[in-house]
Amino acid sequence: MDDSTKRLLQRLIRRIPAQTLRTTLEKWGRLTAAQQRSMDFTQPKWALSEKLLAICEENGLTAKHITELEMTNVIDNPNQGMWYAFQLMDPEDDANSIELTQFKEQFKSHLRELVRPVSIKIKKHTDEAVWIRIAWGDSFSRPNHLKPTYVVHHLQTPYVFVTSLTSKQKPLLSQALVLSARYQAIKDANLSGRKLTAIRDLLMRKYQQVFPTMYPSPLGERNQVVSNPHIEKEQAEPAANRLQMACEAFGDGTLPQLQTVVYKLETKFRDHTNKTMTEREEPFSCVVKFASTNLLESLRHCASSGIASTPVTPLLSSILQKGRNYFVITDNGSGPSTQTRQPQT
Amino acid sequence: MICVLFSSAARTPTNSVVVERRSKSSKSYRQSYRSCVGAASRLCFTPGFTARRLNASRRAPKSHNVTDKVNPQQLALLMKTEWQLSYVTPLYQFRHTQLKSYSRQLSAFIAAEKQQGLAVEVEGAQSSFRVSISVVQGMVEADDDAETVLIQIHSKLLFAKKDEPQRPVWSGWLTCINGNPDYLRSLPEDFTCLPLFCSSGGEGLTAVVKSWFQQTFDCCFGTLEINHTSLQWLAALWTNCHAESSIQHLKMIWTLPVAPPLQVTYTVDPHDAWQLWSSVRKDPREESKGGEEAEEENSIDIEEVMEFMQGLKGHFYRHFRLDLSAGSLKQVTTALGSAKYSGKIKISNSRYMITTFTLLTECALLKMPL
Amino acid sequence: MALLKPFSKLPCLNTANILLVESEEQFQQSLADTLVEETAFTVNVRLAKSLPLPMENEESRPRIDLVVFIINLTSELSFQSAEVSLKNLDPGYFLGKVCFMVTNARNASVPTERLDAVRKLAASLHCPMLFAEDQTPDGVTNATERLLTILKVAAGFVPMATALYLSNLTRRTAPPDIEQPSFD
Repeated sequence: MDDSTKRLLQRLIRRIPAQTLRTTLEKWGRLTAAQQRSMDFTQPKWALSEKLLAICEENGLTAKHITELEMTNVIDNPNQGMWYAFQLMDPEDDANSIELTQFKEQFKSHLRELVRPVSIKIKKHTDEAVWIRIAWGDSFSRPNHLKPTYVVHHLQTPYVFVTSLTSKQKPLLSQALVLSARYQAIKDANLSGRKLTAIRDLLMRKYQQVFPTMYPSPLGERNQVVSNPHIEKEQAEPAANRLQMACEAFGDGTLPQLQTVVYKLETKFRDHTNKTMTEREEPFSCVVKFASTNLLESLRHCASSGIASTPVTPLLSSILQKGRNYFVITDNGSGPSTQTRQPQT
Repeated sequence: MICVLFSSAARTPTNSVVVERRSKSSKSYRQSYRSCVGAASRLCFTPGFTARRLNASRRAPKSHNVTDKVNPQQLALLMKTEWQLSYVTPLYQFRHTQLKSYSRQLSAFIAAEKQQGLAVEVEGAQSSFRVSISVVQGMVEADDDAETVLIQIHSKLLFAKKDEPQRPVWSGWLTCINGNPDYLRSLPEDFTCLPLFCSSGGEGLTAVVKSWFQQTFDCCFGTLEINHTSLQWLAALWTNCHAESSIQHLKMIWTLPVAPPLQVTYTVDPHDAWQLWSSVRKDPREESKGGEEAEEENSIDIEEVMEFMQGLKGHFYRHFRLDLSAGSLKQVTTALGSAKYSGKIKISNSRYMITTFTLLTECALLKMPL
Repeated sequence: MALLKPFSKLPCLNTANILLVESEEQFQQSLADTLVEETAFTVNVRLAKSLPLPMENEESRPRIDLVVFIINLTSELSFQSAEVSLKNLDPGYFLGKVCFMVTNARNASVPTERLDAVRKLAASLHCPMLFAEDQTPDGVTNATERLLTILKVAAGFVPMATALYLSNLTRRTAPPDIEQPSFD
């Protein structure tokens, strides 16, 4: 094994969380049962890394196999790194009937036309998601396996999730995706986060939605806390209304774990007590970022406890409705949806 | 007369009243404060030598060129590090002339503590610590302030080369900037008041230094937080400096008490922040009356600070319908520095250091239990 | 919405009714749970976020003997909300049937001005002000006991003592260090 492959393996072992190392190696399937048993997983990582290096050399494994291991790891632990969501636009007639093999072939051929050399690995996961690993090379160098790009696409949906993509690579990937998925364009969905599962659930609406109803069912049934008959809440109805509106805006039950939302405000300052500022022509520019371990739940709690007035302002409820977490707000309404954000490498 | 200026439930006074109130209070402010202290000692309840609350109005910072007065190298040591603040009660028999002997004593103390097994974080095999205590000349403002004292602890490697530049593993400094003159004068002879203690480095060494000070000078240390009002003051004071030196942005961080806790980072464009600030400033030129002008120059009232913050919160509310008053302000950052509620301060630009530390000295004096 | 009036309804036998008003709706729940455990007489607790109270409950609401405003000093909103609620209370309540309960007074983030403002408010309304600790069960129990003492008097269970009499003894007076006389 050459040096770069060794480095790749060592880096990979460092990155794989200790708890899942054994199962990941098993899934990889490149170790014999005896070799698997001989690894002592209580040792520190650097010792394991040495042992594994020796085993791989024994088995004559190459970089190709190491990248398989990396891919297995990323698929099992998708909530690392920064994921950006994209949406494919204007489907062609046969966009919805694309088959996996067709997509795979098309994608590989299109991308290979645009970039050479490039190393592409495509794998289909159990939940209908297609995982693509791309190691980019150029006319001067071989594919760089240390900085691969991962792409997740759910066939029959227009959504694509990408991590570790540079601005130079972006147009190439976009072109290949658009052509192979049979759409006409691709745009930035203005949604990003650390947890792939969270942004995926958000975009595909895999959470419990609550719709406004004329006759709201008594939410009290759900929160049936056995309360003392001597204790009575005077304002139970307003509280229930607030909860209902909070759930309408932010969903019910467990919510996707979105972590941040950023608003870039460029609106005029309007305050009737402050004439000077209200008369200004220029907008008052500021950036507001909300952050939390589970943003949607925090916002829902804000709304139900009254800290945020209900009905919830469209700025906040758009997070769920539009499936975005980056907004540019001007006086004429939200900014154009093609607002591009540079995905960082 | 103190409460007149800042009562939080007060309505915004009309202009004429403001004129009267301010000119009266600026003259009588100092007198009545002194008499308050005097009166307090005559009445039976515990005489508070230190003020009960922050100044309701303070002078606007002008770009003090601190580099004029202070050695730039020493100044560089104080900047760009995040300091943890504590308050210190006055030191008994502290002599600025005996700093060398204090350094030796402190080194010996640290060595003794190490031997006793007190954990001081060390990297690698370091045999001992070299302590240097020096005076930062010129880092004072008023005449009654004691000179700032800087303490640095370098690690002495066993086989260090002679010319190897050593970075201190721990630094700290004691200072008093614009301390309340009445209080300083009221202290008995042998006491030196350096109420603000800033430390940066490992917890273990900080504890050792503090205990040496406590033993040698019979003083007490305590944690100093920067409370909500002080953070608002800093936001306003730093924004006020934008005219002379760009603050690059005004960033404020609030936390809201929901489950899980929500953090709101509100970053305002510096020019817009400055315009908002100027619009809430009461125009001093309106009341210029001959001789009064010199005294009235650029003093900032707490009401102006409150209006500024209210303007910012109002703009936020108009968009998100979320009242930031429900949460607590935890951090304020600009290009001049950053201040955190937990008592951490970092100065990035030396020009307005004096004003910032005047505020912090006041906070320290306030919190001191004497 | 009508103001809450202290004597517009008849009292119930051996029952005391207390209204806890708190903008955050946190401490009031634990206080309520402990208050109802009182055995000497029945305690009915009504919880509210702010005043005025909804009209719909007007019929079923018993006579409120004591109104407690819970203010969390770490939140500016808490104090502002309490101030607004005060305006919706009939002046008759301020003769001993209102009490302030303040939490988190020792918290470092609380600016002294806020505490002073609450003290001034309590002093101007001639109401007692209690400091409470809401994080531990002991703190809740202590706060409950003190509230019950005042509640008993306000509900008329203590012979020879009326709410007005007790309030004269316990009311918060303006502390001397807030309003210093000037010796000009």
